[in-house]
Amino acid sequence: MTAVTEVAEIKDLRVEIESRAIVDGVSLRVLPGKVTALVGASGSGKTTTGLALLGEYPAGARVSGDVRAPDGLVGYVPQHPASVLNPARRIGALLGDIARYQVRGLPRARRREAARERILRALSLAQLPDPAAMLRRYPHQLSGGQQQRVVLAQALLLGARAVVADEPTTGQDVLTKRRIVDQLAAVARQGIGIVLLSHDLEVVRTLADEVLVMRGGRVVESGPAERLWLAPRHPWTRELLAGQTQFSAGAPALQGRPRPVLHVRGLTARHSRTTVLRAPELTLRAGECLAVVGRSGSGKTTLGRCLAGLHRDHDGEILLDGAPLPRSLRDRTRDQLAAVQYVFQDAKAAFDEHRPVLDQVARTAIRLRRTTQGEAMAEAASTLTTLGLTDDLARRSPHRLSGGELQRAALARALLARPRVLICDEITSGLDSVTRRGILDTLTGLLRDRHDLSLVLITHDLDTAALGDRIAVLDAGELVEQGQAREVLTSPRHPFTVSLVETSVRLAAGTRP
Amino acid sequence: MRGLRSWVARRLLLGVAQTAAVVLLVFVLTEALPGDAAVALAGDQPDPERIAAIREAMDLDRPAHERLADWAAGLLHGDFGTSLASGRPVSTYIADGFGPTLLLAALTVALLVPVGVGLGVLAARHEGRLADRIVSSMTLGVYAVPEFAFGVLLITVFALRLGWLPPTAVGYGTDLLAHPAALVLPVLVLLSRPVCSLARLVRAGMIDALASPYVAQARRYGIPGARIRYAHALPNAITPAAQQLARTIDWLLCGVIVVEALYVIPGLGTVLMNAVAERDVPVVQGLAVVFAVTTVVLNLGADLVAHRFAPRAGVAA
Repeated sequence: MTAVTEVAEIKDLRVEIESRAIVDGVSLRVLPGKVTALVGASGSGKTTTGLALLGEYPAGARVSGDVRAPDGLVGYVPQHPASVLNPARRIGALLGDIARYQVRGLPRARRREAARERILRALSLAQLPDPAAMLRRYPHQLSGGQQQRVVLAQALLLGARAVVADEPTTGQDVLTKRRIVDQLAAVARQGIGIVLLSHDLEVVRTLADEVLVMRGGRVVESGPAERLWLAPRHPWTRELLAGQTQFSAGAPALQGRPRPVLHVRGLTARHSRTTVLRAPELTLRAGECLAVVGRSGSGKTTLGRCLAGLHRDHDGEILLDGAPLPRSLRDRTRDQLAAVQYVFQDAKAAFDEHRPVLDQVARTAIRLRRTTQGEAMAEAASTLTTLGLTDDLARRSPHRLSGGELQRAALARALLARPRVLICDEITSGLDSVTRRGILDTLTGLLRDRHDLSLVLITHDLDTAALGDRIAVLDAGELVEQGQAREVLTSPRHPFTVSLVETSVRLAAGTRP
Repeated sequence: MRGLRSWVARRLLLGVAQTAAVVLLVFVLTEALPGDAAVALAGDQPDPERIAAIREAMDLDRPAHERLADWAAGLLHGDFGTSLASGRPVSTYIADGFGPTLLLAALTVALLVPVGVGLGVLAARHEGRLADRIVSSMTLGVYAVPEFAFGVLLITVFALRLGWLPPTAVGYGTDLLAHPAALVLPVLVLLSRPVCSLARLVRAGMIDALASPYVAQARRYGIPGARIRYAHALPNAITPAAQQLARTIDWLLCGVIVVEALYVIPGLGTVLMNAVAERDVPVVQGLAVVFAVTTVVLNLGADLVAHRFAPRAGVAA
């Protein structure tokens, strides 16, 4: 057996903040051309370990152990690639500086040309189409996928022997995920070692050669991906893997036909002059969960925003119990506002960071139902408890709650309006599998316990959509298919739905591209 | 870029409307002041008959709206009218006053940008440490001193006590460039507060930018520190600073009355003050047009800079 030299290595890393260990005794080897995955719930120490490879630690951390990256060249692709692209500069800015440093040995006259050549080669390696034209663009003029390729190109240009990819597929739709998986596999084929930090188990299973399962800063189990999936040894690994709901058919159809709560007729929504959504007919019945599925940019969120009165540039009618709703939030009455509530994807941004969660949740009842302060606080506390947030958690300010806890608080806040329709916009997409399952169970419970509540569940994830009674599929702003969840998932009619379901099944089966 | 061009056109149209509004407002306000050019000219002998005669000679007895209409019609042909007090064309007043004002403004801005940005970057780089604390407390302290007080202080120390520099520009006429020593103190006074506000804005923007993930990425990939500060972080701190800079240049070009009066510099501020004292309405209005146009153009320029460095924000007219 020939020994492969690792491109980076961590030995017995321990990172302490205020004498609390956030990473404890972690060792890992990054081999050229291999994918090493760190999996675990959020807060398990994945990102701290990944950043340690780059020589970066949280402020005020005490570090012991050994981190080696022999060439010192480790690339980093963060969860949100846009964050590492300078908004005020064209995307070529950092690439240009990296290349400039590399061509310093050349005669002055040839430097410019050589640098440009290197940049274009790196961009092509990262599979960015038309790199020469792209160099002239600003980050905001690129799609999320293109931004990710540019960031990857930075690492390739640098000549990184290892790349740390932090949650590269989180919050992406299934087709984009597929593309990212292919892309990372292609990078690995070039002999670069990849460290994949992810809670997306499907992607890990498809890509990873070696998996380390982390919990509370420790590696509880590690081994080759196949072995781990077939025979998980640690109970936490089993729980994590079980969190991956099998791609299941939807709930049975509702008995009888309850009356419609929300009825959309001839909806055409625009952003200035571009039409972004066309939904000729869509009905939400009482007690029903309607899943709206589509890729990012397909108009799912615009639909939700039209219903909630947040996007008023549209034609057509939205009827609540048969009465038309005004297009803009501002023209809606207090009762109409209370009837349609919205829960946003980014729970952190949806809370004021300086006031306790409990106060902010209670405010809904005071504003929309004119209850007294005391009643509102009592109701907020009991709703939060039902949703699994203890009294102690509820009295904290938002930044001391985890993403999953905040999302529950956001649900509680919407529920305090006693809504008829609750719009949940990708509320689980930033969460790890265990937390996601918890939130989805909560939603199921709400539908069961509150008979007057209907859900609009906006998601890119077919597993989440399977929770719905009915599914509406959006593609490029068109409502291409709608029907009972079971039918849509098992016998999709529209070609787009077919491809969505197929890709999803392939990813779940863990076939390597 | 077509969107940008139509936005600029819309902004310019709006600017014309704003200029018209300013002129109208200034006219109404000067009319509302007690007394008029005739009273001012009559001087020590406010004999009602004499005043009436002067009024008739100056056409001041005609209704206000007719006088405004005449003047506006002239303006459309590029004619600013003639001064009531001297009979000279208003344009010569503006041309004479503009030279010294422009000179002062240009010198001030040429020093303001490097000093303000440099201090801001320096403070941000050493955030919370000694250099930052010195820069921050100095800028706060100097900003709190009004121009006239600072001007008097400088004259007292450098002109009267030490005798290094002339106290005022009296006797040098409008050709100030031939006497650079007379410019030092006024430029220092003009610089004092803008440098402070600019440095503080740049510092705040730079601290945010230096803590950003894109700067961390540049550091991670081995880009040298100075290059990161000036090529990667600074462009993000430029936007608020550009708006502030536009306001400062506007303030400078419209003649800083306090400084011009203190150092006896015959700039636009002095022209304006004299014209108001003499109720010389055409001169006041001519200056109002110049000031309004300057403000519109400078703010448009600042918005274009902001658009260049914060392209995401989009533009709104």
